Amino acid sequence: MNFLMTTGRTIRQGSYVERKNTAPYRDEASCIRMNPVDMFDLLVEEGDAVRVTGAGGSVVMRVRPDPMLPRGLVFVCLGPYANALASPWTHGTGMPDFKTVPVSIEPTTEQPLPVSALMRECGGMPYED
Amino acid sequence: MTQGILIKNAYVIDPLSGIRGEIMDIAIRDGRIVEDALPGSEVIDAGGCLTLPGGIDSHSHVCGTKVNFGRYMSPEDMRAGRTSRKGVMHVTSGYSVPTTFGNSYRYSTMGYTTVLEGAMAPLEARHTHEEFTATPHQDMLANTLFDGNWSVMEAVREKDVKRAAAIVAWTLAAVKGFAIKLTNPGGTEAWGWGKDVSHIHDPVPYFEVTPAEIISTMIQANEILRLPHSVHLHCNNLGVPGNFRTTLETMDLAPPAGGDRQTLYLTHVQFHSYGGTTWRDISSKSEEIARSLNSKPQVVIDMGQIMFGRTTTMTADGPMEFKLYMLHHNKWSNHDVELETGSGIIPVYYSRKSLVNCVMWAIGLELALLAKNPWQCLLSTDNPNGAPFVKYPEIIALLMSRRMRENEREEIDPRTEHYVPLFALDRELDWYDIAVMTRAGQAKAMGITRIGKGHLSPGAQADVAIYPLKPDNLDPSVDYQQVMAGFSRTLYTIKRGRVVARDGDVVVEGANSTIWTRSRVPPEYDMGSDPEFTRKFDQYYTVRLRNYPVQDVYLPRGVCIETEAAL
Amino acid sequence: MRIEDVVCPFCGCLCDDLVVSVEGTKVLSVENGCTLATEKFTGDHRLAHPIRRTGGAWEKTTYDDAIRETAEILLDAERPLLYGWSGTFVEAQTLGVHMAELLGAVIDNTSTVCHGPSIMAIQEVGHPGCTLGQVKNRADVIVYWGANPIEAHPRHMSRYTTFTDGFFVKSAFRERKVIVVDIRETDSSEIADEFVKVTPGGDYAVLTALRMIVRGKGDLVPATVSGVTREQLFRVAEICLSARFGAIFFGLGLTMSRGKSKNIRNAIELTEELNRHTKFTISPMRGHWNVYGSNEVFTWITGYPYAVDFSRGIAFYNPGETTSVDLLRRKECDACLVVASDPGAHFPRACAEHLASIPTVQIDPHVNATTHLSRIQIPVAVTGIDAEGTAYRMDGVPIRTRKLFSTGYPDDVAVLGRVYSLVKEAKG
Repeated sequence: MNFLMTTGRTIRQGSYVERKNTAPYRDEASCIRMNPVDMFDLLVEEGDAVRVTGAGGSVVMRVRPDPMLPRGLVFVCLGPYANALASPWTHGTGMPDFKTVPVSIEPTTEQPLPVSALMRECGGMPYED
Repeated sequence: MTQGILIKNAYVIDPLSGIRGEIMDIAIRDGRIVEDALPGSEVIDAGGCLTLPGGIDSHSHVCGTKVNFGRYMSPEDMRAGRTSRKGVMHVTSGYSVPTTFGNSYRYSTMGYTTVLEGAMAPLEARHTHEEFTATPHQDMLANTLFDGNWSVMEAVREKDVKRAAAIVAWTLAAVKGFAIKLTNPGGTEAWGWGKDVSHIHDPVPYFEVTPAEIISTMIQANEILRLPHSVHLHCNNLGVPGNFRTTLETMDLAPPAGGDRQTLYLTHVQFHSYGGTTWRDISSKSEEIARSLNSKPQVVIDMGQIMFGRTTTMTADGPMEFKLYMLHHNKWSNHDVELETGSGIIPVYYSRKSLVNCVMWAIGLELALLAKNPWQCLLSTDNPNGAPFVKYPEIIALLMSRRMRENEREEIDPRTEHYVPLFALDRELDWYDIAVMTRAGQAKAMGITRIGKGHLSPGAQADVAIYPLKPDNLDPSVDYQQVMAGFSRTLYTIKRGRVVARDGDVVVEGANSTIWTRSRVPPEYDMGSDPEFTRKFDQYYTVRLRNYPVQDVYLPRGVCIETEAAL
Repeated sequence: MRIEDVVCPFCGCLCDDLVVSVEGTKVLSVENGCTLATEKFTGDHRLAHPIRRTGGAWEKTTYDDAIRETAEILLDAERPLLYGWSGTFVEAQTLGVHMAELLGAVIDNTSTVCHGPSIMAIQEVGHPGCTLGQVKNRADVIVYWGANPIEAHPRHMSRYTTFTDGFFVKSAFRERKVIVVDIRETDSSEIADEFVKVTPGGDYAVLTALRMIVRGKGDLVPATVSGVTREQLFRVAEICLSARFGAIFFGLGLTMSRGKSKNIRNAIELTEELNRHTKFTISPMRGHWNVYGSNEVFTWITGYPYAVDFSRGIAFYNPGETTSVDLLRRKECDACLVVASDPGAHFPRACAEHLASIPTVQIDPHVNATTHLSRIQIPVAVTGIDAEGTAYRMDGVPIRTRKLFSTGYPDDVAVLGRVYSLVKEAKG
């Protein structure tokens, strides 16, 4: 199914921003919020994994219901999971389209990766402290 | 420190020492002028060239929040003046609002060694001081804004001059400021509601005090604190046709001088000398202003000359900038500062084809030519409001050459002469006048001769400018091009006993001082422990009282002028 | 030991009224701060020592070696990028700019993916703003547009706007009206007197409609504009026009969505037009505690607030070309120094991939996403906790952060100063 993804800060994301290797950060940053009716259409429940694909790539996240979101709009806090989907094109502004990313979402049995593994996919070498 | 410098064959004009053009030697040691050079001193042969104390700008906007915002919002201005790294010189950008190093190098190569920043909001003082550190070739001072200061206005309302003085003393010491600056007094507070004051007896909303009361109280407070400078005033109604009346009334507020020093310094008076009622009938009232000035030794002014071309206007006078924006419709920034003041910025272009601009251009020159005493009318452009300071040499040439003014007359709007007396003025200033108007007068008006500024007598700071100009072989009236070129680029600029610039290049890393004032007050006048003051501070400011004062670390070479308050 | 009036180095609010209790080098408690502040001060996830990557493994290294190797990487690069800077203090940012000049590098700060478009708009039309206390003491109308302060700047409302009493606003609760404009409901929109829900990407049109009403052309406004009814638009315009002092705060909802800098330009022009009727100001909700400081420092030294390219010898600025995301997307950089930020987490994946493919060095107290992309990481003291220096609040007010205690970590200036010395030595 196709959605529009928007991003933003959350208190939890901010709270764990200096602990990106931890599970609480991963859980918050890889959480995708959507309208419960959309979840129903997607046949997913809270905590289910979904694969989200955008112009910049594809990543696995977990679903959380958020009735405050209108249908068709999903929210992911800013971070490496949301940014795995964003295109690097800036239309000459320096700024990618972080707030309005067209994505497609499908249920999956895969699990969200930790941040270090996500960076390995980018060509990095995980550092475990 | 080096072993010293001996400048030989210098054509010296040192007005504060009464030297009006003599060939002599100047000896320098340990950053000071001395009687005799040490053996082995570096010898500089000035070859009869004009040698003056280092230039002093007593009103310029070069550092701090609004100046930096002028850069921030103007990439077009940054592109208009850029230089690469060269020797010890950093990259610079900007024409009318150069980067800090750009300002510093350009001033230095023009022989300027001391600059007073015209307007510092106390709340944002730390910013000004950070930029001072990055303006390394001039000693810096900060006019500190009190025009919309709530505590001051409350003291004015209570007619409590001593409390007003105590607030000034606390604030100057806290923010490491130099002098009291009033910018459109009362008007900046009114601008907090989108309003302005229209004359000096127009009450400020809520506070119910008038600009005249603020000015008079602050003049008295200044004298109680025995600050080196006087109140430094940007009058109400800047840029408004007919504003010369406000300016004259304001000049009448200045009490007679106590001693050989002004009680009121009016800045950029060109912008305050307009007749007429609208932009259509604006005319010069320089004669009326000069007449008043010539009868009041207690008043000193600076010109606020405008020069044709592009520049950026920036001032604490927020309401004025909005009015100007309504004329220009280019772009507009505004920055109100809580409990203290305001500010605004817009870019402008002064055109020879604009009658209004031509009248403004003429007025500045007229003020300088009509002021009988050069110590009372100092050279400025209110950098960059009237023009960037790099235009000073051209202004000097215009003041020294009637022929140059006549040539310019051909270029400007032909109607100008009907609105201004400029072309009837024969006076041509001489080298001495220029030396007064660009350094000695500033030092005297700012009260910094006692720390060795603005003169070359033994003990003075060794700030010296040697220009490639031989007054004995030059007729400035005719050779104005040479005058202009000569004042644009020193042969040598010496700052605190070191050659800092040669032939247009800065040659060493700078290490400037920041000069500030502290008035000692009795404990009962220490606002830092005044319950009412501290309570209101923590209630209405968004910064805690303890985080407000500028720490010593921001003034790596601070020079404090201490005074004993008469409280 | 209880330390009062502590400055919080988290968000652009730069609250300076925290009370922090410390024992030795441990923070016991934080009073007055928000959750983010408490987490920041009590956080204990520091990288213990410098690390470097050789082949496929990480190893411990010394400060001396890490600093030397960093200088070598920068000196060896043809197109180095020095990125980040918003999480450190002004004195360190200054060193960064001077070093970029010497290297002929590009230096960019996090504005590039934050309020860069706001800066571009300000460069077109200016910025009528004010310090936060002006809003606190006067504003009877507050507008949050594309911003969610409750999550991003948790004390903004209680210190500066909605919930705080001011000199001329004796009862904030009764006297202040709050308008929130967003594409979704948030905790912030819940407390609004007027919530304006815009369809995604529709902000520009809504701003234009409001400008039309303010300019007396309201009769041309259609029945709905980007999901907002004509009635609500008129109501909002009326609230603004009848304000004594109105203050608009905008966030990344405007800078990152369709229109970007043009959205901001439109919002600024609306503010300007409202000033013809009453008093209005507009201010960006700056994210990092000292991102504005990096803009200020870059500007006073180079003339430009971000994205400064020294490769031509002069300072050159052209957002879209000299901005980090574009440079990395074009795979132009051949080395990157990251200071006090996390592009690995906050840039599009393609940029992270390029960072991983070039020698990237990070100077940061914590392990973050960029760590995994780097060759070297040098841990430093945390400014505001075990280091001090100047920061600029979102409204431009400069405040000196406090050092609460000393740890063994060098601060950013100490590390960057040594790298700079080596670069200077090599460059003569």
